[in-house]
Amino acid sequence: MRFLAFILVFGVAVFGASANADAPKRVLALGGAVTETVYALGAGDTLIGVDQTSVYPAALTRRLPNVGYVRALAAEGLLSLKADLVLAGPEAGPPEALAQAASAGLRIVHLEDGYSTEAAIGRIAAIGAALDRKREADALIAALNDDLALVKREVAAAKSRPRVLFLLQAGGGAPKAAGRATAADAMIALAGGVNAVTGFDGYKPLSPEAGVAAAPEILVMMKQSVDALGGEEAVYALPELAGTPAIRNRRLVVVDALYGLGFGPRMAHAAHDLAVSFHPEAKFPPLPARPWMSAE
Amino acid sequence: MSDAARALLPPLRLLRRPVMLGGLGGLLALAFVAALAVGAMPIPPGEVLRVLFGLDADSQSRAVVLGLRLPRAVLAVVVGAGLGMSGAALQGLFRNPLADPGLIGISGGAALGAVAVIVFGHVFAALMPMVAGPYLLPLAAFLGGLAATFATERIAHSRGVAATGMLLLAGIAINAMAGAAMGVLIFMSDDRQLRDITFWTMGSLARGGWSGVLMAAPFVLVAVIAMYRAARALDALLLGEREALHLGVPVERLKRIVMVAAALAVGASVAVSGIIAFVGIVVPHLVRMAAGPDHRIVLPGAALLGATLLLVADSIARIVVVPAELPIGLVTSLIGSPFFLWLLMRRKAGA
Amino acid sequence: MIEAESISVRAGARLLLDDLSLRIAPGRVTVLLGPNGAGKSTLLSVLSGECRPETGRVTIAGAPMEGETPLALARRRAVLLQHSSLDFSFTVAEVVGLGRLPFAATEHERDDEMALASACRLAGIEAVWTQTYQTLSGGERQRVQFARALAQLWRRNPCAETRYLLLDEPTAALDLRHRRSVLEAAHKLSTEGVGVLAVLHDLNLAAAFADDVVLLKRGRILASGPRADVLTEDNLARCFDVAVEVIRKPDGALAILA
Repeated sequence: MRFLAFILVFGVAVFGASANADAPKRVLALGGAVTETVYALGAGDTLIGVDQTSVYPAALTRRLPNVGYVRALAAEGLLSLKADLVLAGPEAGPPEALAQAASAGLRIVHLEDGYSTEAAIGRIAAIGAALDRKREADALIAALNDDLALVKREVAAAKSRPRVLFLLQAGGGAPKAAGRATAADAMIALAGGVNAVTGFDGYKPLSPEAGVAAAPEILVMMKQSVDALGGEEAVYALPELAGTPAIRNRRLVVVDALYGLGFGPRMAHAAHDLAVSFHPEAKFPPLPARPWMSAE
Repeated sequence: MSDAARALLPPLRLLRRPVMLGGLGGLLALAFVAALAVGAMPIPPGEVLRVLFGLDADSQSRAVVLGLRLPRAVLAVVVGAGLGMSGAALQGLFRNPLADPGLIGISGGAALGAVAVIVFGHVFAALMPMVAGPYLLPLAAFLGGLAATFATERIAHSRGVAATGMLLLAGIAINAMAGAAMGVLIFMSDDRQLRDITFWTMGSLARGGWSGVLMAAPFVLVAVIAMYRAARALDALLLGEREALHLGVPVERLKRIVMVAAALAVGASVAVSGIIAFVGIVVPHLVRMAAGPDHRIVLPGAALLGATLLLVADSIARIVVVPAELPIGLVTSLIGSPFFLWLLMRRKAGA
Repeated sequence: MIEAESISVRAGARLLLDDLSLRIAPGRVTVLLGPNGAGKSTLLSVLSGECRPETGRVTIAGAPMEGETPLALARRRAVLLQHSSLDFSFTVAEVVGLGRLPFAATEHERDDEMALASACRLAGIEAVWTQTYQTLSGGERQRVQFARALAQLWRRNPCAETRYLLLDEPTAALDLRHRRSVLEAAHKLSTEGVGVLAVLHDLNLAAAFADDVVLLKRGRILASGPRADVLTEDNLARCFDVAVEVIRKPDGALAILA
C-alpha cells in the first residue's frame, strides 16, 4: 500500500515534471481574465508581458511589460517580447495585428468568446492545455464548479428577483446601459437579478424616459465609472435616473470591472458578492477561500 | 535668349526645383530606411540591411522587416504622398493656404463613407454583389469625400470667391453633419463594428499591410498624376478664377479634376489608414515656406514631404510606448495642431 | 476684330446691357467711358468671352466666341481685371511668367524669356522684379498685373496674328506718371496691330490716348466713334449728368474740365 502510494506519487511527479519540461516558459497574456487564469494555474512566473486590462494580481502585472490596450495591439510589439506562447483573450485585437504576429512565427492561442460560466470554464481549460497545466486547470475548474453550484443554490433559494440596471458609463451625454448579450447581463442573471433593460443587445445610451420606464430597483456600476463621475453622490444625482426606485432607495452597487465582469477564475466570488447585495434579506454564507482570491 | 532677359531671373530660383525636390527625395529615402530599422523588435541595422539585400538573415528578423515594417513603410509613403499633395492642390484650388482635407470636410465625408460600409456592408454586399469585396470600402470613402468636398465648395464659393471664413465655416458645417451621421451609425453598430469605427477615426497604418497598399496605391497614383498635371493651371488659379480663365485655364473643369483627384487620394488613404489629420496642411506649408508657391514644386514636394512626415510619425508611434503603440493620427495631430495655431497667429500678425 | 452684335445681359430683373453693338478693331485703342453702373465691366467680360450674352452674339475674327476654348482665346487676347487678390507669395517674376501659360508646350515657349523682359520694361517694374508680390503697393501690383497681360500678348513676330488687350480700369491705383506710362504701352501695342479696349474713368486720359471712344449709360451706347467726335460737351453732359468744358487745342489735343 505504501509502495503503491509511493509509485503513484513518484509517477505523478515524473509525469508532471516531464510534461512541464515542454511547458511554455515565456507567456504573454492578452486580457485581464486570461492573466488571472494564468496566475490561478500557478504559472504567474512564466508571464513576461500583459495588456492594459490585466490589472490583477496588481503586484505581478504592474512590473511586467505592457503591450497596451487589448483591442489595439501592435504586431511588432507582441513579437518584441519573444514569448513562446501568446494567450489571446476574446477581446484581443485587431485581428490583423494578431495574424501578422502569427505569420512572423509567434505561437498564439485564441480563446473562445462568450459571457457564460461554461464559456469561461472552457477558456480556463484551454489555457490549462496551452500551458501544459491540465491538472491545475482541472482542480481550478472543479473548485469553480463547486462555488458556482453553491451560488446557484443560494440564489434559487432567495425569494426576490430585483430589477437591475447596469450602467457602463455616465455623465457627458446619456448613460450607456447594458442590454442583452453583455457580460453585465450574464452576471446579473447569475446573481439572481433581472436585467431591467432588454430592448437591445450590447451597450446603448439610455434616455431619461427609458431609464424611468426600466424602473430599476438596483443600479450596478463599475468602480472606474463611478470614480470618473465623481463618486456615488454624483450617481444618485444623475437626471436620467431621477425617480427610479434604485435612486430613491439609494441602492447603488459598485463593482470592480475585472472582478465583476471579467468572467475569470474569480467569477463565482463576484457572482456571490453581487447576490449578497441583490438579496440583503437572505443570509448567504461566504464562499470557501481560494488561493487565487488572495493575491495581494 | 538675350542677356537682359537672362539677368531678369534670379539664378537661385532656376535651381530651386531640382535642389528642392532632390533634397526632399533624399530626406524621404532616409526616413524610409529609418522606418525599416526601428521598431519594438531590437534588430541591429546590419541585420536589417542583410534582410533587405536578401542575404542570409534570421528568419524572424526577415518576417519583421519584410512582413511588418516594409508594407507599413510603403503604406506610409502612399498615404502620406496622397494626403500631402491633396492638401497642396486643395489649397491652390480654394486659393486659401488654410484649406485642408480635414478642415473642408473631405476626411469627415470619407470616414462617414467608410463607417457606413462597416455598419451596412452586409446590406450593400447583398444588393450589389459585383461592387462588394475589397473595393467597396475605399469606394464608399471616396464617394463620401467627394460629396463633402462638393458641398463645401458649393457653400463657400457662392460668389466665385472663396472667403476664408466661409470656407472654414462650410467645412465645420459639413464636418458636423458627417459627425452627426456617424453618431447615428455608431448608435446602430454592435461592439465589433464600434471597434472598427474607432479605428477609422483614430488613424493607423498598422492594419493595411500589403493588401492596403494594393488597395490605396492605384487610386493615389492616378490622383497624384492628375494633380501634378494641373500644377500650372493651379498657379494661374492663384491669381483668381477669372484671371485663370483669361490665361486659358478651363476653370470649372480644373476644379472638378482637382476635387475628384483629392477625394480619390484622401478617400483611398482614409479607407486603409483612417483619419490622419494635419498632414495635408502642415506639409504644403513647409514646402511653400522653403520654395514659394509654384505648384510644380509644391505638389511633388508636398507628396515627398508628406510621405516623409508620415514615415517619421509612424516610426514615433511605433517606438515611444514599446511594446504598445500610439495611433498615428494622435502623433500627427500633436505635431500638426500647434503648427496650425502658429500659422493662424502668423497670418493674424501679417494682416 | 472682336464684334458684339445687339447683345443683352440681365442680372435678375435688371438689364445690364441693352441691345448693344460694339467692335474692337485691330490697331486701335477704344476707350469705354460711362458713369458707375453703366455696364462697362459687364461689357468687357462679354467681349472677353468670360460671360455669354443673353441675346445677340459675339464673334472673334468672324467666329462665334462661345465656340472658342479658353486656351485658344488666351493665345489671342489678354485681359487685365480690377482687384486681383493673391494670397500666396509669388515673386513678381513668377506672376508675370504666368502670362506665358497659354504658350506652354508650343513653339512660342522659347520666347518666354524675351516676352518677360519686354513686359517688365514696358510696364516699368524692373525695380521690383525679384520681390514678392504681396510686399508691393497697390500701384505696383497693378503694373505687375499689366506686365502679365503684356507678356501674354508678346510675339516674336507681332504681325503674324491679330491680338487683343482688354483693360478694366488699368490706372485706378496708379499715380500720374504711371497712368500715362501704362496707356503709352497700350498705345504702342496698338501700333503693332493689337486691338485695345480700355475701361477708364479719367476723361483726360481717354482724350489723350483713345483712338475711338464709346460712351455707355444704363447699358446702352450713347455715342461712339473717333474721340474728337464723341468727346463733346453735349455728349459728356448727357452721359455723366454733369456740365463739362472741352477745350480743343490747336494741335488737335483735347482737355476736359469737369
